[in-house]
Amino acid sequence: MLDTTDADFAWSTASGIAAAVADGRASATRAVEAALARIRERDPLLNSFTAVTERRALARAQALDEARAKGMRLPPLAGVPFAVKNLFDVAGLPTLAGSKINRDLPPATRDAALIERLEAAGAILVGALNMGEYAYDFTGENIHDGPSRNPHDLNRMSGGSSGGSGAAVGGGLVPLALGSDTNGSIRVPSSLCGIFGLKPTYGRLTRARTFPFVASLDHLGPFARTTRDLALAYDAMQGFDADDPACADRAAEPVVPHLEKGADGLRIAVAGGYFKGKTAEAVAAVDSVASALGANRDIDIPQAERARSAAFIVTASEGASLHLDRLRARARDYDPAVRDRLIAGAMTPASLMVKAQKFRRWYREEVLKLFAEVDAILAPATPCTAPLIGQQTFMLDDTELPVRANLGLYTQPISFIGLPVVAVPVPLAPLPIAVQIIAAPWREDVGLRIAYALEAQGIVAAPRPAL
Amino acid sequence: MKRKTSRKPQASRAKRSLKPSRTSRASAKAKQAHATDTLVTANARALGLTLDPAWHGSIAFNLRLILRHAALVDGFALPDYAEPAPVFHA
Repeated sequence: MLDTTDADFAWSTASGIAAAVADGRASATRAVEAALARIRERDPLLNSFTAVTERRALARAQALDEARAKGMRLPPLAGVPFAVKNLFDVAGLPTLAGSKINRDLPPATRDAALIERLEAAGAILVGALNMGEYAYDFTGENIHDGPSRNPHDLNRMSGGSSGGSGAAVGGGLVPLALGSDTNGSIRVPSSLCGIFGLKPTYGRLTRARTFPFVASLDHLGPFARTTRDLALAYDAMQGFDADDPACADRAAEPVVPHLEKGADGLRIAVAGGYFKGKTAEAVAAVDSVASALGANRDIDIPQAERARSAAFIVTASEGASLHLDRLRARARDYDPAVRDRLIAGAMTPASLMVKAQKFRRWYREEVLKLFAEVDAILAPATPCTAPLIGQQTFMLDDTELPVRANLGLYTQPISFIGLPVVAVPVPLAPLPIAVQIIAAPWREDVGLRIAYALEAQGIVAAPRPAL
Repeated sequence: MKRKTSRKPQASRAKRSLKPSRTSRASAKAKQAHATDTLVTANARALGLTLDPAWHGSIAFNLRLILRHAALVDGFALPDYAEPAPVFHA
């Protein structure tokens, strides 16, 4: 039973808040005020928010409370505070996308489509979240706004590029957040901050009115501290939108009603070869999940290393093309680490970019064949737990690798062909790490059912930080 | 991404003699670095980008990284009929 103290709200689930608001145990105004108080109290530590939309949130909460007082039935996420990575348009704010340059843009005139959809389901936007500049990042560091910090150890990275989303949900500021994932930017922060993240199938959720990075790889999705909350948010956001040319013309396929089917009857394998964990924590996390699911078969995802390389090239080239005019005009206003990668990307030969796109189709066909044999594949989400803020390199298999480019080692070959993935947190001590549950295109239900079953067994959970 | 390999204890004399010397490896590396620097300068001009000389080293490092990844993709033979996937549909 949810009471209405701030301490209780801080760790309550979105579904718990919505139920309490719907049956009158709590008001939406109280839920929003509690979230705003937590943001004031804890965000100076986490640095996850770049804007707080207090007035708008309280007005919306009051409208919901009035609707309930009139006897109206409330929608499924009524009163649930949420926040969005600051590449989502929020009416009245410039869409920063983690940059200095975008601060000069006029304020957005309309919310991003997914904000509209979550608010139509009763959720209440409380602010915009810190992120890596222009989403070209796996660390959660930002030279303009400072790094968002890991709630489990404030000296460590939140992961990127949706670092503020990971820190805000993992730190109990909001039960729900949205982020983007081009190469791993939902799954990496989920792993480092110990929360659940869903990167849906490419084309499933509309990206309308969000700042792009790599059009052919960009996905949006939710973060939460339980599978049910992830599924509730996902169901509220599905559906075709003509405003995003890549959004698939598919009817919504709600998952919440199917969660309790669990993993029974599903064929689950562990990704071998390239995806075999190289640190004790990555190995322990995958072993623990595989063992709980009885997944004792290894499967080889063919040419995964090459797929990662191809994703690297497509990202460098498309990302650079997006920024070329800004690089000509305002190169000095970029984070140097992002600027130099983008400029190098602009110099990638077009013939090699097309080869990467040809390889992409070949690889997709080969990987899809695997789903005739299995329903889901398990792989580590990150090679290690959260590195220290400012750490430049880490050791993997006796090789020293740059952190910024390599935290997404295991996520890039999967998003490259748009497969849906649920990142599930394994609460190892002292720091959590996530496992990717990878399913066939359009089978988010499979990943979420498995996540739900693992959570019910206590194998995966969002650990509560000692903030 | 370059992986360090463990040194084999007993390489044959014949094989060892085929390996480039440390000096020639260093010289090849220097030539490659010079070639990338030249590429950065030429590309910047072609693209209309004004670069601060202090940025060259980092841009060249990133370009070499991209080209290493590209070499891995380039080394994979695909038929002439292979279709690219510029906008991916799952």
